[in-house]
Amino acid sequence: MLIQIRGLHRVYQVGSEQVHALNGVDLDIDSNEYLAVMGPSGSGKSTLMNLIGCLDTPTQGSYTLKGQEIGKLSDNELARIRNQEIGFVFQTFNLLPRADALHNVELPLIYAGLKHEDRRRRAREAIELVGLTDRIKHKPNELSGGQRQRVAIARALVNRPSIILADEPTGNLDTHTGEEIMAAFGDIWKAGNTVILVTHEADIARHARRVVRMRDGKIESDTRQPGHGAGTGSP
Amino acid sequence: MNLRESMGIALSALRANKLRSFLTLLGTIIGVGSVIFVLSVVEGLNRYVSEKILSAGSNVFWVDKFGEAMNEEAFEDALKRPDITLDDVDAIRLGMRHAAAVVAGGQATAPVRRGSKVARNVSINGRSAGYDVVEDLTIERGRHLTDLDDRRRRPACVLGPEVVDEVFPGTDPVGQQLRVGNRTFEVVGVTKAKGKIMGVTQDRFVTVPIHSFEKYWRSRFSYAIYIKSRDQATLPLAVQEARNLMRARRHLAPGRPDNFGITTADTWMEIYRKITGGLFALTIGVAAISLIVGGIVIMNIMLVSVTERTREIGVRKAMGARRRDILLQFLAEATTLSLSGGLTGVVVGVGSALLVSVVTRLPAAVSIPSLVMGVSMAAVVGIFFGSYPAWRASRLDPVEALRYE
Repeated sequence: MLIQIRGLHRVYQVGSEQVHALNGVDLDIDSNEYLAVMGPSGSGKSTLMNLIGCLDTPTQGSYTLKGQEIGKLSDNELARIRNQEIGFVFQTFNLLPRADALHNVELPLIYAGLKHEDRRRRAREAIELVGLTDRIKHKPNELSGGQRQRVAIARALVNRPSIILADEPTGNLDTHTGEEIMAAFGDIWKAGNTVILVTHEADIARHARRVVRMRDGKIESDTRQPGHGAGTGSP
Repeated sequence: MNLRESMGIALSALRANKLRSFLTLLGTIIGVGSVIFVLSVVEGLNRYVSEKILSAGSNVFWVDKFGEAMNEEAFEDALKRPDITLDDVDAIRLGMRHAAAVVAGGQATAPVRRGSKVARNVSINGRSAGYDVVEDLTIERGRHLTDLDDRRRRPACVLGPEVVDEVFPGTDPVGQQLRVGNRTFEVVGVTKAKGKIMGVTQDRFVTVPIHSFEKYWRSRFSYAIYIKSRDQATLPLAVQEARNLMRARRHLAPGRPDNFGITTADTWMEIYRKITGGLFALTIGVAAISLIVGGIVIMNIMLVSVTERTREIGVRKAMGARRRDILLQFLAEATTLSLSGGLTGVVVGVGSALLVSVVTRLPAAVSIPSLVMGVSMAAVVGIFFGSYPAWRASRLDPVEALRYE
């Protein structure tokens, strides 16, 4: 089991009020799953994503990633997990504006402490994988939205993480480009990666093998979808 | 690498907005620049002074009524002391065993005249024989004054070259007569030019035998006794000897203070050092204020930068940056900023020191340690004032930072 979540709570203090963003979530995710978390805004899906991505720690409950209890980790250990195990793809791409594509993709490798030549080589490979070899020296503002998201995907993949975590990855793209990006995620999944999508769009969620619907900080339904062909990795 | 990246970010931000960068770094530039400037000028003065004052008369000291009366009170006390007479000088000369020369000196100012040619404000130096050794004077033409000139009360004099230029332009003054005050003297010699020390000419004087001086100018004040020791090693002995002789002559009981002053070249150097030390302290004050202000401006800019780049910090954290990585990144940026200011300050400081030395002929010496100091001061400012913004950046919560618009 890659991810095991038991009785997860996340409570925010907003002024004098306590907001229960997550209200007891249980969820297991296997390696090489393709999972979409759906729900209206305020359902707690972003909070769940932040917790899975180790950007945040739970108020109560347990989250183990590859057998490691995340709630007990220090700041530095969380940073290491984010670096080694998680590849983030954001709605707004979140590329460094002054850095070119290659440098953006290199970023996780810098924090992984790789040597310059190794970083260059692996960043080039990742960019090749998303088909942007000819844009390697371009800065984000010289790239289209779809190209920017591809750079972001290359960045997410470059350190070979256990989970690709994508938060509304097509939210800032037109339908056609969005479909291309979703095809890219399909390929990534087929290559053996675990992909977790967070979205409120059913059209996007249908690309996934499994859909988890959330409401009011709880899992409302958890369905597996047939069809679309299977991944190459574990069942 | 991360460091190089951070420096690159700081430098490109500097380049992107030159006027803002200049204003940001102005405090640092002024702080470092003024320190380099003053250090260079003071260093130059030091070399100059030790060359001119110390080399010429390093074995020379003098006994006079006032000594080193640095304030009004000390001066008024000194006024009550007995005058030093020519008899005192003779007694010292007879008593000194460590002296190469003991010379009586009296000083007045008078115009010097020949026909229609007049030189005003000329120093009239009454001197006994041996003054050439003590004053390090070399003769250019003619001869020096001798003991015989003095004993015979000859109206002879030796001129400094500046007086010659004004009163005897184009002619050889040796053997000619001239009016010093309202007395007639015969020129027996002209000295070699010594030039200026600290902008004061050393060549505008008429030296006359001490007894003629006493007769015609009747020194209002007491005489000075110039003493040259045999060598550098015997200087302290000679100073002590002269002091003992004076005290014995004046029947000063042990424990009572001297009622005369002894001044050595070291005393002068000390006074000089006090002055430059004051100047230096003042500069350090100005520099410290500029650097603090400069540092605060840098801190402010860095805080703005941290806020502007909150999202970037969030992204970096999501990619695995630890607090330490973020802290170092922003520290490196702040230090790059302040170092740019420091290097500019070095250029400004060295430039203005050289400019001043060209315009005023004051010597300026740029020393490597002062440059190193200036640059390190800038680095310290960057690290110190960059710490807080960098700390703030490192403490940002990644979720909040990623959500920041």
